[in-house]
Amino acid sequence: MIPSVLSVASVASVASVARLSAFLLVALLPAIDLLLPTTWKFASLVPAIMVYAIIGLGLNLITGFTGLFNLGSAAFMAIGAYTFAILTCPIYPFQIGFFPGLLAATAMGGIAGLLLSLPVMRLRGDYVAIVTLGFGEIVQDVLKNLDAVTKGTQGLNPVAVPAMPGVSFSVGNYVPWYYLYLVLLIAVVWLCHNLRYSRLGRSWVAVREDELAARSMGLPTPWIKQIAFALGSALCATGGAMFASLAGTSIEPGFYDFQQSVIILCIVIVGGMGNITGVLLGACIMVGFNSIVLTKLTEMMSRNGWTGDNVLASPGNWKFMLYGIALILMMRLRPKGLLPAKEVPAELRYRDRDRDRDKAPAGAN
Amino acid sequence: MALLQLDRLTLRFGGLTAVNDVSISVERGQIFAVIGPNGAGKTSVFNAITGLYQPSSGCVRIDGRTVRALPEPADVVRWGLVGLATGLGAAVAINANTLWDAAINQSAHLQPFPWSTSWNALVASALQGPWTTVPLAIGAAIGVGAAWNAWRMGRCTPDAVARAGVARTFQNIRLFRDLSALDNVLVGMDRHLHARGWDAALRLPRHRREERDARETALRELEFVSLGTSAHLPAGSLPYGHQRRLEIARALATRPSLLLLDEPAAGMNPAEATKLMELIKRIRDRGITVVLIEHHMKVVMGISDRIAVLHYGNKIAEGTPAEVRANPQVIEAYLGKEELG
Repeated sequence: MIPSVLSVASVASVASVARLSAFLLVALLPAIDLLLPTTWKFASLVPAIMVYAIIGLGLNLITGFTGLFNLGSAAFMAIGAYTFAILTCPIYPFQIGFFPGLLAATAMGGIAGLLLSLPVMRLRGDYVAIVTLGFGEIVQDVLKNLDAVTKGTQGLNPVAVPAMPGVSFSVGNYVPWYYLYLVLLIAVVWLCHNLRYSRLGRSWVAVREDELAARSMGLPTPWIKQIAFALGSALCATGGAMFASLAGTSIEPGFYDFQQSVIILCIVIVGGMGNITGVLLGACIMVGFNSIVLTKLTEMMSRNGWTGDNVLASPGNWKFMLYGIALILMMRLRPKGLLPAKEVPAELRYRDRDRDRDKAPAGAN
Repeated sequence: MALLQLDRLTLRFGGLTAVNDVSISVERGQIFAVIGPNGAGKTSVFNAITGLYQPSSGCVRIDGRTVRALPEPADVVRWGLVGLATGLGAAVAINANTLWDAAINQSAHLQPFPWSTSWNALVASALQGPWTTVPLAIGAAIGVGAAWNAWRMGRCTPDAVARAGVARTFQNIRLFRDLSALDNVLVGMDRHLHARGWDAALRLPRHRREERDARETALRELEFVSLGTSAHLPAGSLPYGHQRRLEIARALATRPSLLLLDEPAAGMNPAEATKLMELIKRIRDRGITVVLIEHHMKVVMGISDRIAVLHYGNKIAEGTPAEVRANPQVIEAYLGKEELG
């Protein structure tokens, strides 16, 4: 009994130390980055990871907590980005600025999510995936064809950058973006954490675990699923708007394709479904690999002259092969993600006691 | 008046009649047992009471009323709104390019932007041609159709039955396995909690106070079924007998007036079964009427006030334990007919 208690305590403290040091590292990264040689600086690429973390947290509400498999999250990202772009782009008369634009994008994503969830709420599993997959394709096509509004494949630009007294947000200087997006990310993490450990979060997990039992306990399950869908989509749209502001353009409709949805889904799966820390880790791994490791590798290879006609000479071409291998290994070795859900210490305790109980009869014999 | 009344309840699945013309009435404060050989239709009766199955004929009354989730005006209105949104959305989607050109792009170069001219241009463009009226009409048709359908399909759903004060456990345990035992009970309590989403999201004091009180109540409920020490373990990791008791605690947390227990003693050893009998009596003493399905005859005969016997979907006997035990038809159903000669 005593060793098991010790191991539980050490698991908990290791986790909290790891979390604290990770937070300090992230908070001080721009300073640390100054010390790195020019070719190895990477902190300017980190705000994109934070954006994807927010989008991943949004999808986590839908897929991780509530268990609705959503393959259309890029569509909500697109809705957020385009709402934000239309409302802030100087070619249109609205020009409401960064923060109102962000709120409007969030609201628009929530409304779209609520509307999409109406036909989805009586479905489960694969069927939800098919509906959301179709929705993703529709949104892309609509954005392409509404060229009077969205300028088709050109995208809308420039879009608003954040305006705050005393701070200038520009393309050249990433530090203000870094800290603004960090604050927004922390706010979203806090919201998601509060929701998960509330009445609503319990209902979401209950629906995921056993919808029929949840319904028999008096929970209005269709409504609970709709709330999850609307909130998750709203967060995806927030992320889309933040990404558009960071990129300076709404980008083109083709950017928000199925691959984008799959990358977002991978963020949730790799880290551990339904685990907030896991989603943050997943965003670091998936987006960090894509936008930092591969970029640096490409730069290094071109510095050393390792280029050629071979497809493998460009690291960008390895991307999906490596994603594929990583997913296969994940599913084989850790199907519940790198960080399984929070119940781990309790489970460890149970396993210890279980082993003791299993041993007892053997000893008696 | 009887708390639960089955009035000539019949359930048919295709050609199979699972429950045939069964009438049962359960008075307040009773422990009522439904017994019968496997496949007699006992669980089907439970499913009909809790709204998982719709009766083919006959009806279920709880406290004198038939439970019916819909038509709730809110639901009908919701579908009406969906129709309206579809219509507007379709109208806008079809005309978006034209409307946007007329309203925004034509005057986008002007400073300051002429909002009223733009609005007039938008309205004028929208009223032109059939491309606005046709999608609006289609949307209205969808809305009316869906609202009508919501009205027609109005039926008793499991959540409505639960809110009417009926809680149940399941024959094959259905806990929320990844949630802790305490959280399972808290989900059961959910309909008595009032915090809204934003209270929770922002951790307002109201929400924290309610959560704290709810946790205390849930813990008391766990102690009632002697699971106080397992509160923080995941439900799926509990031993089988504990899972059965946790399911009872979760059902009690909904504060039901009627509790349906589907084979609560299944898989229990005699000592556990005795403890379960005590528990069921204590539940009855809280003023909750209990209806149970059970094969464990010691449990059934020990605690039931009345017993109904189902055989091939028909009720063949009802009465006190002593009456049922002496009933020749019941003996025949369980042991077979005596061979003569």
